[in-house]
Amino acid sequence: MTHGFLLYARARTVPRTVLVLVATAALAVLGARNLNAYLDPTRQVPVVALAPLFAAAVIGTSLHSASEELDRTAVRPWWRRRLVHLLALTGCAALLLAATVLGPSSPFGPSAMIRNTLGCTGLTAGAVAVLGTRLSWLPVFGYVSAVYVGSASARGTLVPVWAWPVQPAGQHVAWVTAVVLLVAGTALYVVRGARPEGRRD
Amino acid sequence: MSTAPHTASRPVPEAPAATVRTTGLHVRHRRTVALDSVDLDFGPGVHGLLGPNGAGKTSLIRVLATVAEPSGGRVEILGHDTRDHRRRGEVRRHLGYLPQDFGYYPGFTVREFVAYVAWLKEMPADRVPAAVERAVARVGLADRVDTKVRRLSGGMIRRVGIAQAVVNDPRVLLLDEPTAGLDPEQRVEFRELLRELGASSTVIVSTHLVEDVAAACTEVTLVDAGRVAYRGTPLALAALGESAGGPGDHPIERGYTAALRAHRAPEARAGRPSASEGAAR
Repeated sequence: MTHGFLLYARARTVPRTVLVLVATAALAVLGARNLNAYLDPTRQVPVVALAPLFAAAVIGTSLHSASEELDRTAVRPWWRRRLVHLLALTGCAALLLAATVLGPSSPFGPSAMIRNTLGCTGLTAGAVAVLGTRLSWLPVFGYVSAVYVGSASARGTLVPVWAWPVQPAGQHVAWVTAVVLLVAGTALYVVRGARPEGRRD
Repeated sequence: MSTAPHTASRPVPEAPAATVRTTGLHVRHRRTVALDSVDLDFGPGVHGLLGPNGAGKTSLIRVLATVAEPSGGRVEILGHDTRDHRRRGEVRRHLGYLPQDFGYYPGFTVREFVAYVAWLKEMPADRVPAAVERAVARVGLADRVDTKVRRLSGGMIRRVGIAQAVVNDPRVLLLDEPTAGLDPEQRVEFRELLRELGASSTVIVSTHLVEDVAAACTEVTLVDAGRVAYRGTPLALAALGESAGGPGDHPIERGYTAALRAHRAPEARAGRPSASEGAAR
């Protein structure tokens, strides 16, 4: 049993994924180091928006199965393994990244980092189900980039809903959007699995 | 629909109870029909699945392996209807499947890969190590059991595929072109293994190599354009080739082309006793 789970974890390159997530966190620490964010908290926005984006991309590509066809013959339904796998990696990324921005309380601190990790991973998990693992980073990359560029000049009551990755932690609506994305994306992935790639029908 | 007469007049003594049975099986891929109302039954033994490229062999094997959903009809394996999700798990426990293209995980050794599949099949953990050793030895890779799969040659990877398919001692074994990439000696050994497996389980092998069929199969099913074109023993197919004079260099090859032509001829579809049926006896 345990042995099987170990093989499963290795098959999905979980150890390597965790290492890359640690490296991402290290990069975030470096990026946040000399920002002097106590002068202007918004200086931390690039780190809080981009590190979760990168972590989500890593998680998305790690959901790849190299022998999809054989995996389909598994006796047990896959949903439970998929759920545990995705949530474990998401939790791991959220904790690691939150630790990188610990410090004097800031609106772009751990809370915003966790929110963005959950939202980005949700979006990516949905993309895994719809596009396959190989391109799963694309929607979240496009979306967060667009928000990052476009939200500065945007005005309106709906801004916190769609510009959730660059909102301060106190903005509850942004949290709602992120959690909805996480739940929807996870549900889609857990039920449907990764879209099969590279097989001719 | 075209299958019934051949099945009924099979010369072999009444086959043991069918372990695999399809009724009115339909499979579509988007717009194209891969299988069209296929009624087949297979009992213990080695069954060769022949047919041109795109005839529907892989579609049939994938549906039987429960990895593809039929668009219509019924598939019964070991007495379980595979549409029932709860029964499907029970079926899969006793199923072995070698896809045409099975990916393998980078970094896995032969032992780990085969053990991973044993885990997918929910084999009791204490039985896995011995079962893995045995399966790997059966395909002649005992000395490579701790080699990384990606370091093996194409033929050896194919044998790893066969090893993972037999690790759970399946009662129904589905092999999609297992001999592609094997050298002649390995193929001879593989046929030996096929005969051994066919003694107790139902083995369905899709292949393009008529020698495999002649040497190892107890029964041949010829599929063409999503329909069953012929069923009979390899001997009967060879005899058909001799009497109908189809082109080919091997008796089975001649039988193959003759049966295909008879099936494709318009009068055969209209129900006139076809050349294949008359000569098959």
